[in-house]
Amino acid sequence: MQQFTVYKIGPEIKIVGVDLSFTNASLFMVISALVIILFLFFGSKEKKIVPDKIQLVAELFYTFVAKMISDTAGSKAKPYFPFIFSLFMFVLFCNMVGMLPYSFTVTSHIIVTLIMALFIFVAVTIIGFIKHGFKYLSIFVPSGVPVVLLPLITVIEIISYLSRPVSLSVRLFANMMAGHTMLKVFGGFVVSLGVLGGWLPLSFSVALTGLEILVAFLQAYVFAILTCIYLNDALNLHH
Amino acid sequence: MKSLLSLVIAFTATNIDLYAAEAGMPQLDPKYWASQAFWLILVFTTLFISISKFYLPKIKDNLDNRENKIKEDLENANKFKEQSEQKLKEYEKILDNAKKEVSKIHFESKNILDKNIQKKKDEIEKKIEQEITKTQKEIIEIKKNSITSIQNISENIAANIIEKISGDKLNESNIKATVEEVSKKNIGKYL
Repeated sequence: MQQFTVYKIGPEIKIVGVDLSFTNASLFMVISALVIILFLFFGSKEKKIVPDKIQLVAELFYTFVAKMISDTAGSKAKPYFPFIFSLFMFVLFCNMVGMLPYSFTVTSHIIVTLIMALFIFVAVTIIGFIKHGFKYLSIFVPSGVPVVLLPLITVIEIISYLSRPVSLSVRLFANMMAGHTMLKVFGGFVVSLGVLGGWLPLSFSVALTGLEILVAFLQAYVFAILTCIYLNDALNLHH
Repeated sequence: MKSLLSLVIAFTATNIDLYAAEAGMPQLDPKYWASQAFWLILVFTTLFISISKFYLPKIKDNLDNRENKIKEDLENANKFKEQSEQKLKEYEKILDNAKKEVSKIHFESKNILDKNIQKKKDEIEKKIEQEITKTQKEIIEIKKNSITSIQNISENIAANIIEKISGDKLNESNIKATVEEVSKKNIGKYL
């Protein structure tokens, strides 16, 4: 589908035979990051006791993410707050910018979400081993399980742990792609059914746009909160 | 929703030529994967550094400032409240004292006045009594005096009457004796 196509913008950049050209995907990553930076710049520029609108929103985001982390991962996760905040903001703004007509949705590409998920997976695993040493492997052996079931449960736990990056990345990618595809399909209906029959799919399209904005926020939230949960497993070994 | 979805699928199937030019999923085309990964890492790292180094500390400072300010203000408010309560207590105490003082002064002055009045009254009564005894004495004196003068008058009258009736002039001392006798007998009737 055309809206997901990646194409090169500007000259071709090749480093050691790898094509690293600036594409429309890169452009929208930069746009999203710039929007975030502008938003946070104006949100933290004036240090008012009684905040103005943009400052209030920036502070709401801050307290929202801070509360999310302290609720799911506790106080030990505080050092990772900047990362999770950046991650949440980046995914959220990429999703939201992607909702604009003629724009490109960075997060609708599996490679982007997979790299983020893999980074989180590797980082969380390293943090777990640093904090707990080889005891971190006990995450695969839940306590209170009958000995007979233990081999089976351990295998299942290992599989579920290893599938974390896949589930995390595919969830975001599939949601974004499916939403945009739905919008595209309904848009196609409006065009092909014309003035007479196009009103129904058009109203669906409007409703779906609202739903997609919700999904864009929700998936960013889910992505961030799952990261928090994985981090929680690594920091506080519960099993 | 399900029938709608099947409708969508059917429609997509019949209009497949509409998408023929852009069929397939560009996401699975590895041509720009390296580029996307590279730019993602670059952009996200930049974003992460700028957020964690500049913006988050600023927002945190601002939030902390506000919290501190609110805490401080609340503390001050509590302090002032306590102070005002204390002042109110002091004021009430002063008021109570003043009231006590007033009643004390009132009582004392009343006592003094009462005493003064009693004293004056006593004095006046004493004076009146003195006056009364004095007057009584005077009256008694006057009475005594009047008795002698009455006797004299009676003697003269008696002498004159006797002289007129009998033409004799009686001895004055006899008359006096007689009058005295009579008056002594009858004086109780008039006094």
